[in-house]
Amino acid sequence: MQRVASVPAARPRDAVDLGVRAGAWLGVGLVLAFFLALVTFLVVQSLPAVRAGVGELVLGRHWHYPSRVFGSASMIFGTVAVTLIGTAFAAPLAFGTAVTISELLPRKLASVLRTAVELLAGVPSVVYGLLGVLYLVPLVQDAFGSPSGDTLLTGGLLLGVMILPTVASLSEGALRTVPAEAREAARALGLNRGETILHVVVRQARPGLVSALVLGVGRAAGETIAVFLVVGRADGRLPESAAEFPSALLRAGQTLTSKLGSSEVNIAYGSELHWGSLVALGLMLFLGVMTLHALGGFLRVLLERRDRAAFGRSGGNDA
Amino acid sequence: MRERGGWRRARRVGFEAACVGAGVVSAALLFAIVAATVWNGFDALSLEFLTSPSAGRPGEGGVLHQILGTIWMTAWAALIVSPLALACALVLELLADRKTARLLRVLLNALNAVPSILFGIFGYYLFVRFFGWGKSWLAGSILLAMMIAPTVTVSWADAMRAISAGYLETARGLGLSTGRVALAVVIPQSVHGLWRGLLLGLARAAGETAPILFTAVALNGVDALPRGIVDNPVLALPYHIFALSQDAYDPAAAAAAWGAAIVLFALVLAFFAASLPLRLRAHEEARR
Repeated sequence: MQRVASVPAARPRDAVDLGVRAGAWLGVGLVLAFFLALVTFLVVQSLPAVRAGVGELVLGRHWHYPSRVFGSASMIFGTVAVTLIGTAFAAPLAFGTAVTISELLPRKLASVLRTAVELLAGVPSVVYGLLGVLYLVPLVQDAFGSPSGDTLLTGGLLLGVMILPTVASLSEGALRTVPAEAREAARALGLNRGETILHVVVRQARPGLVSALVLGVGRAAGETIAVFLVVGRADGRLPESAAEFPSALLRAGQTLTSKLGSSEVNIAYGSELHWGSLVALGLMLFLGVMTLHALGGFLRVLLERRDRAAFGRSGGNDA
Repeated sequence: MRERGGWRRARRVGFEAACVGAGVVSAALLFAIVAATVWNGFDALSLEFLTSPSAGRPGEGGVLHQILGTIWMTAWAALIVSPLALACALVLELLADRKTARLLRVLLNALNAVPSILFGIFGYYLFVRFFGWGKSWLAGSILLAMMIAPTVTVSWADAMRAISAGYLETARGLGLSTGRVALAVVIPQSVHGLWRGLLLGLARAAGETAPILFTAVALNGVDALPRGIVDNPVLALPYHIFALSQDAYDPAAAAAAWGAAIVLFALVLAFFAASLPLRLRAHEEARR
């Protein structure tokens, strides 16, 4: 891909040139400064809690601010649990939908479904939250006979529904970039349509599919409002053993984001340790999501490099 | 290693059936989501609901002020994000050398993944406490603008990239400086793509709750539009729905939440719909 300017001119030539360049770099500076400030805030403001003991902060099972106990384990567990449930729910449906739109449906129908999916990816999360409160919560309560429908499972399923359109839409985009010649060549070699899709189209679109899924997982981990409304927000419910794990999913839980979205934020500001612990939850969320993003990028590059080694520069379509 | 044709056929049918099955389930889910929102929303919707302010008790009155507040905050977010995203896109495509541009792009993609609630608590610290603004609509607009800045920038850079090389070569050949190329060629030639990118960003900003939760919104007792910056929150549709959802066991609150939800849904849909013809125009721009 060619950028607009292959070679930027070395130095400004007139006042307009200078103005545009200075303004543009200033704008970049402002945006980067904002995000630098955000990261600095997360690190510096969580220091009081970190100094009080990292082990207790990250691994502590209890969070009870009146007695100044701040352990995040149950929230980390909650975030991991809802993210995994959401991903497990959304990934197969999203990939299947993407293949259906890109490869199987007639053009007109595909275009309708594609637009619908793109639109659904833009529905505000609070609307999903409302749907969750009024439909999914009673559904989970009835289906599993749990005392309340506000559970980690509910949060996870709702996240799954929410990220489904995003992952499907991005995956479909990745499948569509595979050139038609690749499909034609595969069919000409005697592969049937299913084999062509699986072994050629999906195979070539792998880097894009990975990116789509990772983006969805990151969204799920960071989503606040919808999860807040259905997850029950009960502190300190960590399963005691692996055997308790399934039943823990059917109880009210807390995630990093549901805690950060709660009114405790206003209460915490007065106390250095309480506020520091809350910001530390934000820092953990940030580090988790960034690690995921980096892993996704790394995996993508790795796959692209392997494909290039296997197929030549242009990924199986070498001239 | 030839396989039996029947087995291959069965695998093909199985695979395709699984995909189509997933597609049907997804389509049904999507349909159910829209149907539930529209069905419940239309019940609550009336002219009075749209044109009257909300009353004291949850679920009473309309959403006029929430609509105005959301549009106000989104419009200011657009004003704030536009110069910044334009600056970043120009640097990406025109001003930075290749290495810097690649680094900036990687950075922007990473920043795009920052969860929205982090803008919320950072904004709470910076604007509400450190600057002492209390709850202020401007804090909300700035946070929403920064939240969509990476996405808008990347889509604007892509729109600029789609300009045909001939135009740029001609401009260069005429001896225009980089700055004048930006003003006279790059921006005007990609303008439909720019509008489209902005609208899609705003569709996301208008529906966000987490960044404005502690920084910019109130539940009631606020004028339709703010009179200043400090201690001037607005009412907003997403926060309104969020608050009502927590009282959703009360049928009146649930009905009002649905009404507000369909209005917000329509607002987001309007941003999308406005961007659709621009997509076609942007394609034409790219093809010329």
